[in-house]
Amino acid sequence: MPGFVEIVSQLTNGVIYGLILALVAVGFSLVLGVMGIINFAHGLLFALGAYLAYSLQFHVGYFGALVIAPLIVGMIGILMEFVFIRRLYGRDPLFVLVLTFGVAMAGEEIIQLIWGKLARSVDAPAFADSFIDFGFIIYSEYRLFMAAAAALIIGATWYLLAKSPLGSIIRAGTHDPEMVSILGMNLPLIRTGVFGFTALLGGAAGVVAAPLWSVRPTMGLDALLPAFLIVVIGGMGSFWGSVLGGLLVGVANAISVMFFPRFADLTMYVLAAVVLLYWPRGLLGKKSVLE
Amino acid sequence: MTQVDTNTPPAPARPMARRQGAMAAKFAALLAVLLVLPFIVPLIGMNVGIASEIVIYSLFAIAFNILLGFTGLPSFGHAAFFGTGAYMVAILQYQGIENTAVALLTAALGGGIAAGLVGVLVCKKRGIYFGLLTLAFGQMFFIVALRWDEVTGGETGLTGLTRSTIDLGFAAFDLNDQMTFYYFVLLVFFLSILVIWRILSSPFGAVLRGIKENELRVQYLGYPAYLYKWAAITISGAFSGLAGGLFAYYQYATYPEFVFWVQSGNVVVATLIGGGLNSFFGPILGAAIFVGAEDLISSYTEHWMLFFGLLFISVVIFFPNGIPQAVMRLTSWIRGRTGAQDADKASEETGK
Repeated sequence: MPGFVEIVSQLTNGVIYGLILALVAVGFSLVLGVMGIINFAHGLLFALGAYLAYSLQFHVGYFGALVIAPLIVGMIGILMEFVFIRRLYGRDPLFVLVLTFGVAMAGEEIIQLIWGKLARSVDAPAFADSFIDFGFIIYSEYRLFMAAAAALIIGATWYLLAKSPLGSIIRAGTHDPEMVSILGMNLPLIRTGVFGFTALLGGAAGVVAAPLWSVRPTMGLDALLPAFLIVVIGGMGSFWGSVLGGLLVGVANAISVMFFPRFADLTMYVLAAVVLLYWPRGLLGKKSVLE
Repeated sequence: MTQVDTNTPPAPARPMARRQGAMAAKFAALLAVLLVLPFIVPLIGMNVGIASEIVIYSLFAIAFNILLGFTGLPSFGHAAFFGTGAYMVAILQYQGIENTAVALLTAALGGGIAAGLVGVLVCKKRGIYFGLLTLAFGQMFFIVALRWDEVTGGETGLTGLTRSTIDLGFAAFDLNDQMTFYYFVLLVFFLSILVIWRILSSPFGAVLRGIKENELRVQYLGYPAYLYKWAAITISGAFSGLAGGLFAYYQYATYPEFVFWVQSGNVVVATLIGGGLNSFFGPILGAAIFVGAEDLISSYTEHWMLFFGLLFISVVIFFPNGIPQAVMRLTSWIRGRTGAQDADKASEETGK
């Protein structure tokens, strides 16, 4: 049996891992909700954020990277929507999924061509690169910073979606895109904007995660597959569902790492399967057109 | 996909018989082409083995298309069932069971059981949510293949498989011979697609097509749509598993890559290239083009993922309805404006 200190630190790790996953899932689920498409390249955007953080840290430091990298990734997202995804609106959503499959594959290879196959390391910022002694437990400062940053970004996103006028347009767009465009809103622009915004979120998650995540070409998928399951667990189209799902997956993962480390990756699948059987719409999901 | 006319009255009996005759002719033509395929393949500078790979991949794509093309369910986790079949053959052989027929039946059974289990979770879903779930749960099989090394060999997979000799008393066939193996694969393939066609043209298949057009209407007619979907997923998984089993023999090995998400994407793209959304035989053409392209790409560059990615993107953007339709559009465009409209109409008709 693991000791008390180990349990506490593992569970805290799990919560923090869950917050990062939630951040990835929130962006993924927003695109799914607003545009009805599965963006398989969302993991690529997460990976790009981390790699840009790696390259930028030498020039502008960690905080510079935290601002600039997500903006670049957001721009890449906008470009992606503009060049590829825009052509496929109104068509079978299957096509967008195949397309983003292709983008994810090509992108992973491009990352490998630029940065190489081996894992890169991103330094934690100087103010948070040591450990805090809480008396009963010594804990990494950066992990705490990571939790705070992820929670802050999630909170800001929620505020933007739920409280701002722009947010109400976006939410209306998920319910009835046709009506929104009849009301004179520029729907294509909103879609591009939402896609770019979720890319920015994915990039930000990548930067925040970079110092503790192994930054390698396949990292995108390591974050995206949990995000899929989180959306299933939390419920499609539910913002807090994604956050709750992220935390559940993070904690479940931490617990299983303590007891059966080799199959820890499977825990989230079991969790998702159980949720699916008892709550077909996810824990906080509502009836949606996507079923 | 959804704008197909659902008000068409049921076809009268005589054209039905004629359609079956036309179908028999198509099967015969296909068989004729595939019988000479191993002689054509070397002419364009490819290894004879590629012919076997094309036929195996065709079986996989047709099995997959039971869901996508005929039930309207976009599965993105089919590598799981294909891979399960491949691992079944390898695991049996590591346990000392060499009989080819037993191994292939177990492969189909394994694929079917895997699909049946996933099917329980996904059979009440449709559309893009179905895609999301199959993609996610498909990847679960990859993790099992990777981590359960005692059984699956982990990252290195199970290598060094053997193909046995099939002894029928009057003649013995050594499957290690490329040609013999090809014709063995062709036999399995042809019998399988006859069975699949029989299933799809039965009343059961009609319900599946009904689900593709309008699931709600099928439910209102009193059919438990989710049970039909579950059965379709299971059958599709079983034939995918059979294809995977053949593929294990073809490669003399199984690797975790067989179960990887890229493989699930490959079969979708191969099916789309062939125009499989609307056609039974389309996936065969798609598989041939796909396997050919794969062979070409991987012999020229190690960055195959980049080119595959670009292939995926261009398939969706330039010919989402398959190469046959794209070719028809191109020829009509070349023929000039007057001919264009006719050919467009014709291509739409054959598309259905």
